[in-house]
Amino acid sequence: MKKKKGVSYAKWGYIFALPFCIAYLIFMIYPIFNTFTIGFTNMTDQVQMQIAQDKMIGIEPTVQVEVLENPMENYQFVLSDPNFWSSLKNTCIIWGVNFVPQILLALALAVLFTSNRSKIRGKGAFKVLFYMPNIITAATIAMLFTKLFDYNKGPVNDILRMLGVIDENINFFSMKGASRAIVAFVQFWMWYGYTMIILISGILGISPELFEAADIDGANGWQKFFYVTLPNLKSIMLFTLVTSMIGGMTMFDIPFMIGGQGGIKGHIRTLSVYIFEMSFTGGKLYNRASAASMLVFIMIAIMAAVIFFMLRDKDEAARHKIEKAQTKAYKKALKEQKAKGGVQ
Amino acid sequence: MRKKFTVAALCAAMVIGSFAGCGKKEAGGDKVINVMSFTEEIPNMVQEYLDKHPELGYKMKKTVVATTNGEYQPALDEMLKSKDSAPDIYGLEAAFVLKYTQGDAAGFAATYDSLGIKTEESLKAAEIATYASEIGTRPADGKVVALPYQATGGCFIYRRSLAKDTWGTDDPATIQTKIGGGSGNWDQFWVAAEQLKAKGYGIVSGDGDIWHAIENSSDSAWVVDGKLNIDPKREEFLDISKKLKDNGWHNETQDWQDGWFADMKGEGPQPIFGFFGPAWLINYTMGDNCGDNKDTPEHEGTYGDWAVCNSPVGFCWGGTYLASAKSAVDKMSDEKKTVVADIIKWVTLDTDENSLQYQWANGTFGGGDGSTKDTVASGVVMKKSDGATGFLAGQNMFEYFVPAGDYATGRNMTQYDETINQCWREAVRAYVAGDVDRAGAIDKFKADVKSKINITVE
Amino acid sequence: MGKKSTGSKIAHFFIYVVLILLAVMSILPFWVMFMNATRSTPEINANALGLLPSKYLWYNKSVFDGKSFDAMTGFINSMIISAGATALAVYFSSMTAYSIVAYRWKLRRPFFTFIMAVLMIPSQIISIGFYQMMYSVGMNNNFLPLIIPSIASPAVVFYMKQYMEPALPLEIVEAARIDGAGEFFTFNRIVIPIMKPAIATQAIFAFVNKWNELFIPSVLLTDSKKYTMPMMVSLLKGDLYKVEYGSIYLGLSLTVLPLFIVYFLLSKYIIAGVALGSVKG
Repeated sequence: MKKKKGVSYAKWGYIFALPFCIAYLIFMIYPIFNTFTIGFTNMTDQVQMQIAQDKMIGIEPTVQVEVLENPMENYQFVLSDPNFWSSLKNTCIIWGVNFVPQILLALALAVLFTSNRSKIRGKGAFKVLFYMPNIITAATIAMLFTKLFDYNKGPVNDILRMLGVIDENINFFSMKGASRAIVAFVQFWMWYGYTMIILISGILGISPELFEAADIDGANGWQKFFYVTLPNLKSIMLFTLVTSMIGGMTMFDIPFMIGGQGGIKGHIRTLSVYIFEMSFTGGKLYNRASAASMLVFIMIAIMAAVIFFMLRDKDEAARHKIEKAQTKAYKKALKEQKAKGGVQ
Repeated sequence: MRKKFTVAALCAAMVIGSFAGCGKKEAGGDKVINVMSFTEEIPNMVQEYLDKHPELGYKMKKTVVATTNGEYQPALDEMLKSKDSAPDIYGLEAAFVLKYTQGDAAGFAATYDSLGIKTEESLKAAEIATYASEIGTRPADGKVVALPYQATGGCFIYRRSLAKDTWGTDDPATIQTKIGGGSGNWDQFWVAAEQLKAKGYGIVSGDGDIWHAIENSSDSAWVVDGKLNIDPKREEFLDISKKLKDNGWHNETQDWQDGWFADMKGEGPQPIFGFFGPAWLINYTMGDNCGDNKDTPEHEGTYGDWAVCNSPVGFCWGGTYLASAKSAVDKMSDEKKTVVADIIKWVTLDTDENSLQYQWANGTFGGGDGSTKDTVASGVVMKKSDGATGFLAGQNMFEYFVPAGDYATGRNMTQYDETINQCWREAVRAYVAGDVDRAGAIDKFKADVKSKINITVE
Repeated sequence: MGKKSTGSKIAHFFIYVVLILLAVMSILPFWVMFMNATRSTPEINANALGLLPSKYLWYNKSVFDGKSFDAMTGFINSMIISAGATALAVYFSSMTAYSIVAYRWKLRRPFFTFIMAVLMIPSQIISIGFYQMMYSVGMNNNFLPLIIPSIASPAVVFYMKQYMEPALPLEIVEAARIDGAGEFFTFNRIVIPIMKPAIATQAIFAFVNKWNELFIPSVLLTDSKKYTMPMMVSLLKGDLYKVEYGSIYLGLSLTVLPLFIVYFLLSKYIIAGVALGSVKG
């Protein structure tokens, strides 16, 4: 019965997915395809400019955008560039250092704010405030933190000196560990509120009956967290993990702007900053930047595939179970004219 | 639900409205001057000219794109590529002017001659600083395609009170010999640094101050015949920077950051003797940050405690250039060509008292009160103008800044300098911080350049 | 009232300390920004983290004159772009998610995998291709290239799908069909209201992101009548060598105000908590 209906409505699935596909084809496919092909060519700003100038004075272009004799040359260059590897390393370190505490804090806050037992006043205000760092532009935040940690006049140095922790001011932005830690901290601070909101929505979606059942079984707070909350948060954790990983691998604003204020950029240059510098400064080497972009894309895809592979099967199985239960309940309801639905 | 629909409908209406609004492209028209720049400075000048000449009946259409994160160049490039929207006048900042006068995009510019300007004669008649015309000359045909209005030759700007305390005098001529001003090398400067240190003073605020002088004193450019070239004088910056730090000769500040500004006020950990810079550094930066309260007639902070003398090596720093697009000029009527030529001439080459440069030099442009005197490209205007300012205790700053333009050169620059300089200064910072050794710093520098610019790096 | 143990009291105290600390850290940048909007540039250069107001608000405002800073125009332009893009993003993403959740079509799985792959393409990477294409078809100085692409927002689709799966009982959809409702009617009148909390949350995120976007608008919009708020602020940098920080902070403050309003209007969903599966509750 259900299956038959599903088939007859299938065309609506295509119709509803159509706008996404059309917009995507028009606005994304060309640039992406472009990026992909440019990576094998000699296209740089210099070549583009030359062609445009020849066109302007009406002569046959003296140069052409063409596939390189060795099409993999740009890829080989990027893979042999020490800056590419150091950027990859920086990106992973900064993301890892920010993500672990971020998800832990967000989870703790989410549990705290959704628990009936914790009597925290002003929950609503706190929730609203914690997302606020995400509203402000990255430029302002980067400026704020460069000033906070400034070598000559930064309050952090002043406080550390007052407490007697240090005798002489520390030049944070010329130090590898410190500058990465600052960028990671800013990322953490900008995003934990967002993650918290997402997790709260996940926890609230867990059926209250599950918690009640745990209460009856005499579970304590920790047990409930580990045996009820966490397992049921899986799909939303997957969302958080994947989006944060992608956000992390493409992290740009904060490291770019803090790096632009002096200090040693190389310590906090992320992959996106590397690509940006390649395509918008110096020789504007679009071809190498495209090759680097494709490499980043491949890496993210592999990492995401691994995460999905690890989490997917069980997730799907659970969904099937829910679907079955729902169908069953629906049939029952039809028969008995009385709804008894709910997740088993 | 209904509310949501209303909102959605409203949004849709707004979007469609905006769409309709831009359906018709504003035509350049024959009576409109298209100006593109990265600040309001040049559009303001053009507007001023058109306001003073209402009989022409021309209007200005300005396009200002900020350079904050490098957005200006992609936008300008797209404009230059399209024949329809190529600007009649466009601004070029010193940091990237070479790309548009000598580098990859030089072909887009119209020569000043093609506008009907007698460039050679005017350059001579106005006594335009040589480095300025060198930068603005296209190598392909040896013609001038862009000129600046400011002159940005740099000097050494020092604190009078510290000079008196150290050497018993604050007279610029004497201090100049003490720091080796005009000598072409740094030997005497280090002697002075040691004498100042004995009194508890630093000679400069950070190594960035000295860099501009070193960069411009180099005999060769960063790129020679498509190869990366490290001039010995620029390489020496590694040692100089380390020497400054190891001896505590500066406050280890970074230009344009809090500590740097504090040193202008004399509020750093140790008092700082001086800064390297062109006249605009005094007007725009030091004057504002010396701690003087502009609302009161009495002067506070370090106002009036400064003087100017020659730098050990000549240099220039900054400047804005004006160019005109060839495809725009090709389309112009003779009448419009004359108007555009007159505007460009008024800004870059004229020397009479109504000229922009005269007003700029005396700080009277746009109704200014004379407090922002500046050096300009024309030597003739400079001779007619008085550069005495209270900030320098009445010293006529033009006496030193004008000759400074002659020491500066435009021959050791390339279109990639902005990027290469950043790489170099970062490598030097890493070396001074003890991150890498000297050879390691040079390797790091080479790798950085190689990944950003397609040139041979050995 | 049961007596609390000392341990739990200490824990409680500790929790409050952490919460208040986090709250202060959230407010601080806004406070600094608003205060700096009233301070002069030399004051800011001397100490960028002023916590007390000064008296230069009026002066900072006067700097706007003569520059292309027109708060009203910038506000309207930003509003059109952000509201348009947000509306499209949440509506069409819900629709796309619905197509995956509610219908059994053959290419459903590959399509979802495709969306996930799209999600992984970093946006800076395609920016060059994107703006050059827009210039070549004459779409510069037009808001559409900044709005329409939002129809395809893979991250929003992903979230909507995750939300919809447990929250949307398919029996409701079936019931609607039995009642003779069309598919679009069902989607607009039944599904969308159920999705309201998720839409509100994603709307906040999408709006904030779009509002603060700078690079692509700066390259595409060169007509000063089309400038967005953040573009105008970045133009306040004015002379390269004379930066009026006071007025920049004032500009930034003005830029963030509309965001505040949108955020607080929608924040009831954050306070109440956007519940996955709220209809079951």
